[in-house]
Amino acid sequence: MPIYLAKRFGLAVLVAFCVSILAFGLLRLQGNAAGALAGEGASAEDLAIIVETYGLDRPLIVQYASWLGDVLRGDFGTSYFFKSPVSDLIFDKIGNTVILAIMSLTIALAISIPLGVLAAVFSGSWIDRLCSLVSLLGQALPSFFLALCLVMLFAIKWRMLPASGAESWRHFILPAVTLGYYITPPFMRLVRAGMIDALSNDYVRTARAKGLPAHRVILKHALRNALVPVVGLVTVQLGLLIGGSVVIESIFALDGLGYLAYQAIGYRDFPVLQAVVLLLSVVYVVLTLLSDIVNAWLDPRLRVS
Amino acid sequence: MTDLSNSADPTATAELAETPPGRLSWSRLSEHPSLLIGGGIVVLMILIAIFAPLLAPHDPYAQDITNRAVPPVWFEAGSWEHVLGTDQLGRDYLSRLIYGARVSLLIGFAAVSIASVIGTTLGLLGGYFGGRVDMVVTFLTTIRLSLPIILVALAVVAVFGGSITIVVIVLGVLKWDRFAVVVRATSSQVARMEYVQSAKAAGASNLYIITREVLPNLTPQLIVIATIEIASAILMEAALSFLGLGVQPPTPSWGLMISEAKSYMFFSFWLISIPGIALATLVFAINLAGDGLRDLVSPDGRG
Amino acid sequence: MTFRTTLAGASLGLLAALPGAAQQSENAVRFAYGQTLESPDPYFTTLRLGVILGRNVWDTLVVRNLETGEFEPLLATEWEWVDDTTLDLTLREGVTFHDGSTFEADDVVYTLSYAADPANRIVSQQVANWIESVEKTGEHSVRITTTGPTPAALEFVSSQLAIMPSDHYTGPGGTTDADLPIGTGPFRYAEYSAGGEIVLERFEDYTATDAKSAASLDRVSIRTIPDQQTQIAELLSGGLDLTMGLPKDQADQLAQMPGVEVQSGETMRIVFMQINTSDDTPNPALQDVRVRRALNHAIDKAAISENLVGEGSNTIDTVCFIDQFGCTDEGATSYPFDPDKARALLEEAGYGDGLTVELYAYRERHISEAVINYLSDVGVNVKLNFMQPAAMRDAMRAREVELAQNAWGSYSIYDLSASTPVYFGGQPDDNALDSELIETLDDAGKSMDTEERKTLYRQALQRIADEALAVPMFTLPVYYAGAEGLSYETYPDEILRFWEFSWSE
Repeated sequence: MPIYLAKRFGLAVLVAFCVSILAFGLLRLQGNAAGALAGEGASAEDLAIIVETYGLDRPLIVQYASWLGDVLRGDFGTSYFFKSPVSDLIFDKIGNTVILAIMSLTIALAISIPLGVLAAVFSGSWIDRLCSLVSLLGQALPSFFLALCLVMLFAIKWRMLPASGAESWRHFILPAVTLGYYITPPFMRLVRAGMIDALSNDYVRTARAKGLPAHRVILKHALRNALVPVVGLVTVQLGLLIGGSVVIESIFALDGLGYLAYQAIGYRDFPVLQAVVLLLSVVYVVLTLLSDIVNAWLDPRLRVS
Repeated sequence: MTDLSNSADPTATAELAETPPGRLSWSRLSEHPSLLIGGGIVVLMILIAIFAPLLAPHDPYAQDITNRAVPPVWFEAGSWEHVLGTDQLGRDYLSRLIYGARVSLLIGFAAVSIASVIGTTLGLLGGYFGGRVDMVVTFLTTIRLSLPIILVALAVVAVFGGSITIVVIVLGVLKWDRFAVVVRATSSQVARMEYVQSAKAAGASNLYIITREVLPNLTPQLIVIATIEIASAILMEAALSFLGLGVQPPTPSWGLMISEAKSYMFFSFWLISIPGIALATLVFAINLAGDGLRDLVSPDGRG
Repeated sequence: MTFRTTLAGASLGLLAALPGAAQQSENAVRFAYGQTLESPDPYFTTLRLGVILGRNVWDTLVVRNLETGEFEPLLATEWEWVDDTTLDLTLREGVTFHDGSTFEADDVVYTLSYAADPANRIVSQQVANWIESVEKTGEHSVRITTTGPTPAALEFVSSQLAIMPSDHYTGPGGTTDADLPIGTGPFRYAEYSAGGEIVLERFEDYTATDAKSAASLDRVSIRTIPDQQTQIAELLSGGLDLTMGLPKDQADQLAQMPGVEVQSGETMRIVFMQINTSDDTPNPALQDVRVRRALNHAIDKAAISENLVGEGSNTIDTVCFIDQFGCTDEGATSYPFDPDKARALLEEAGYGDGLTVELYAYRERHISEAVINYLSDVGVNVKLNFMQPAAMRDAMRAREVELAQNAWGSYSIYDLSASTPVYFGGQPDDNALDSELIETLDDAGKSMDTEERKTLYRQALQRIADEALAVPMFTLPVYYAGAEGLSYETYPDEILRFWEFSWSE
């Protein structure tokens, strides 16, 4: 077990390191970093000063090392556009994104677990088919289109919920439902598959044979087992959600990380962009690491492999 | 395992990865109505895209700004001249929709072709050779999965400018992970099979074995992943265009049409619903066909 | 009526919409703007929202009365030109900043000296680079010395030169230790989040004058909402009280909704395409005058103006706003819509088989698209680069842009020195770098002789038109959509004077 964990941890660090190189490379994509930093109407002298201040004349590898050093100390540099520290900006916005991600996930689980169980219990029936239809539709409907339709109905027609912003929990409902609906299908498939598996297991058959009521067998024994892999998926989806909310955050003018990144792209604000990309990747790496540790702890077979 | 199976739809990947290699049994086609329906719609859309110049009643680029936002024929103000009406610049909406099918399908197929080549190559290398090669492949896949794909795509498009070519390249280079995961799992199974081992013993080259023995056995899985990925690439193109960072106007792309119609949606809902429904139908049909194909390749169907 | 409104909204029951009355009782206004503000400091943004905040949070020394065209006292009670390059001002006493400190001569000297120093890199150098030095001549009097005769000096003093408290900045580029900048204006910043919400509160101790009254509203909150449909949704659902800058179609449709009132106003904002003819141009075809004339002939600006831009939009033939001092289309070549002629000119220039150009734009995308369609009709294939204003400005200043669709509001300055020279007078945005033009515009900007200035400006405008160095298109009206019951005035300078806003019963 310790060896497995150490290996797994080492891999995570290595991945994070490689991602940091890619994120650093993002800044260089646009070529003229000094020009972007100096901004409007910079003279040749201005540019020279910028090049010197930021050490842009040093070899790339040296620049990378110094950037990485700063990042490890929590210093992501200064935003080209807002002229304020990137870490402050991220700190400001990350709360909204995390709330949105958690709410979306909750909604996705609330839809997918009952539907997945129903689909498994009545496997092959019209309920099963209906569930897979709903899941297919979820994947087909572009999330931005669904978002706009929800705004039209809930914000404008029925005036039940605000159309945009992040002032209260009510502001998060429409974006969270949109994102939640979009990530429901994978959870539903997983719950369904897990339940079908669990229901065919010996102990469930035994419980049934003992004459326990069907709903108790399903809920108490089978579901518990079926949900184990879901935990792993939750951590992973949480990572993806935080990164995948760019479109939704910008539609709902929800002032979070995705929206910040979207603005940063528009303004060619590369320090912000590379910080967000790096942060999201690291969050993802950490979450998968956690889920692997949990899995290893749950499943002894994995510890040896 | 978890780090490799978490694409947008991890279960689909996992199911496929666990499916033993085999060949498609076309005789069971009729048992899979979803494949027939989905496939039928997709084929229809492809035909529409190919024959767009013959089918479109008007030039999709011809604007008439004195005749804008004419509603479709089923509205009182509509006319048969413009069956689906005209857009905010007075261009024929049906013609733009028909040409839009070209853009969506072209981007979907082209991007996935690139992705499948990258993903299959990496997957084959990792699965067939195992050991260190496999470690490198797994590592690359993990890095790719940890990158926030939409953000990276947006950033690259923002730097290099939006065009069909750029969008295809970006999506192709970013969407190979599922191919790699599934191909790696399946090819490592195949590599251990007896006939491969005996071919090796008989002195066949690795290249020969991979192209003649391993690859053909992967075809069904590859087709299934390709359908999933085409659907996903089409949606991503739409999302990029929706944000204004994909295909640029005046190219008729469904995502762009939705984007341009969105500020009219509260008053002229048909402007946004027509391309929205077209996009959803195409993606739904591809996914339906993909689902059917998956049933077809898994030995005992679903559940 | 060329745009058919089917009002699906009606069938959806949207017509029942009524704005929330809550804001009325709270005496607050919620405003939305489409673009992100880069800085709360008006010296470090070119965005209209920055100009609006500049006027509401700060005061200028003098102010222009838009009705009479005369300058009126604000922070300065009297002013006098001692000679062509010396301006003496007497400052108002008893004015306080938002933090309670007293406004005095040092603040003026500090602010103007900071803005005038190019090393401090304020975004629009031209508003202050005419200042040679500022000195304190008394506790409440200052003297401004200009670098040369500057006929438009008071225009800048009355519009862009907001007075900050002394020692506000800690270095160049607007760096400061203050959490929020302060001024002497009728509102003060209560909250500011980069890219997020901005909240203004009434400044209770504001020194009201005839020119600028104290605020009646308690609070103004400003959000950035980039998507127009989200702005409309907020208006229709009562989450917003005012938005500005919606396109004609959306404004027309909103006007039919109960509870929403739409106002439109002519503005000084001119839309034109700038053509990069400089030596660094990425597209040498643009250096051929025939190509540039073809571009001018290809676009039906009257049709776009009438159908897409709407009432209050007038076509223009020169790159300036007609009411600005010195602006005229007299004697300037005009290029009527004539696609055949455009094709012939392109053919003649050797681009009969087609020409590809890149167009950069940052607003009014529907106009860009109409332009692209017109150009493609004559065989010019256009690649569109739609970006945020700051990014486009940087690209333009690096001369990487081929065609730039600009919408220039001249900072609401009624003098040609605030428009044409920005793009043709050798300033950073100049992509023509025509030495003759630079010289003419420079001479005009320095002449104190009214007639001479007019003549020089006319010569410059004629040269731009003859050489087709730009594609002048039209003026842009602005649409305001607000909740019923909100009473406010709109002005051609597009500056929302929140201090004049109130809710009616």
